[in-house]
Amino acid sequence: MTEPNIAIQLRGLSKRFGRQEVLRDVHLDIPAGASVALTGANGAGKTTLLRCMASVLRPTAGEVRWFGRSAWRNPDARRLIGTVAHQSGLYPHLTLRENLVFAARMCDVPKPLRRADELLSSLGLQASADRTPAEVSQGMRQRVALARGLIHDPAILFLDEPFSGLDVAGTQWLCGLLDELHALERTVCFAVHDPDMVRRLADTVLELRSGRVEHHDVAALKPDAQAREDANLSLAGASGFNGLRCAGCGRAA
Amino acid sequence: MDYGARGAVGRHDKERYVTAKLWWMMHKDLASEWRARRVWPAMLLLGIVVALMFAVQMGLSPEQKQETVGSLLWLAIFFAGMLAMDRSFVAEREEGCWEGLLSYPVSPTAVYFAKLAVNAIALAAIQCVLIPLFVALSDVPLLERPWAMLAVAVLGNVGIAAIGTLLSGLAAGIRHGANLSVLLVLPLVIPVVLGAAEATRLGMEETLDAAWWRWCQLLGAFAVVFTTAGAVLFDFVVED
Repeated sequence: MTEPNIAIQLRGLSKRFGRQEVLRDVHLDIPAGASVALTGANGAGKTTLLRCMASVLRPTAGEVRWFGRSAWRNPDARRLIGTVAHQSGLYPHLTLRENLVFAARMCDVPKPLRRADELLSSLGLQASADRTPAEVSQGMRQRVALARGLIHDPAILFLDEPFSGLDVAGTQWLCGLLDELHALERTVCFAVHDPDMVRRLADTVLELRSGRVEHHDVAALKPDAQAREDANLSLAGASGFNGLRCAGCGRAA
Repeated sequence: MDYGARGAVGRHDKERYVTAKLWWMMHKDLASEWRARRVWPAMLLLGIVVALMFAVQMGLSPEQKQETVGSLLWLAIFFAGMLAMDRSFVAEREEGCWEGLLSYPVSPTAVYFAKLAVNAIALAAIQCVLIPLFVALSDVPLLERPWAMLAVAVLGNVGIAAIGTLLSGLAAGIRHGANLSVLLVLPLVIPVVLGAAEATRLGMEETLDAAWWRWCQLLGAFAVVFTTAGAVLFDFVVED
């Protein structure tokens, strides 16, 4: 039985690569609107867990549900999620605009060209819209990759180490964006190494150790309970990204 | 907000979306290849070299040419086509695009058909160059019965593209798998190449007899079986 306010439900999730068991019998209920940080040492299985949660990787055992709907090979349910992986996922021979338009078309977004232009304007990338990913900086590519994941205004967003490759300004921008998503009650799961980012952005921390998930309330990790509030105040609106809401993206509802 | 209902789409909408997505996935691949020009020039060059060698180097009599042109034509089409089919998935794996594609609300079967269509277009392009080239350089009556040649070309094209797309997708998931795909595809595609070569040879004879029909039926059967198998099995192929 699934409660309607549970965005992501994992039941008995295990993943094996050959003899190596990366995830062991993971059970999780992530409520809608949660901001969840996945932490753990390199090789702990953060990316594997994210990929299984995003249903890009088939688990060896167990099940993933998004808002009560089975995730595996369920194209309709995929409208609920957006993913941003390690690599940009941008086609190298298409321009930034064409990449976003293609993503919008794949996600059945109405008026895909307009939506892509809206996002590019929000990102301050209108001038680079007709450049290919190779012609812009890593930070710009990262922003477009995030826009690609957000183009259909998904209810759940999976981000794999989104801060890697970003400079200070890019990091601030992304913190602001994640705060905006949190304020809009989107469920966000992100893999991250930096404890400061965990304290700033997460309300739940899942630490991976030996294939098992240990669940922490982020308040327990905070030296100062005021820290998150302070950080939120300083970063509120820092992204300048006002294109999250997609008119008509919920049309499929 | 009832997110649980948000992913639900009516049947009519679903069919419309699938058709549109098929087209946009094909458009993306064709536009990328048009701009990168990585594969098609090499593919055409390979075909042209084979046609030139057949015309200039071999010194065969007209009768011998008519007997052997089918085999050489289809071998050239197959090997040139393999270049395109290999590349169609290797390019997708770059920059994590494949994972991005799998995360969209689109079924693996739709991805398979889009790739199949692009590969069939690549094979058709090489056929459009090679068949007239063989006719012009070697004076073989390949276009004596254009409709018969067209039927063989379409059936052979679909058979090769269907199995090539499926196994190239499988090989792309394996490290250095692109080098393996020819080895994987070759044993399965032999009946198609053999059938197409025989049907091409018989199509140039004075009358089209029952043997030509039988080879065409075989080609048709392979095209249907491989396309169906690809559509059914591609779901498993796309997994890591």
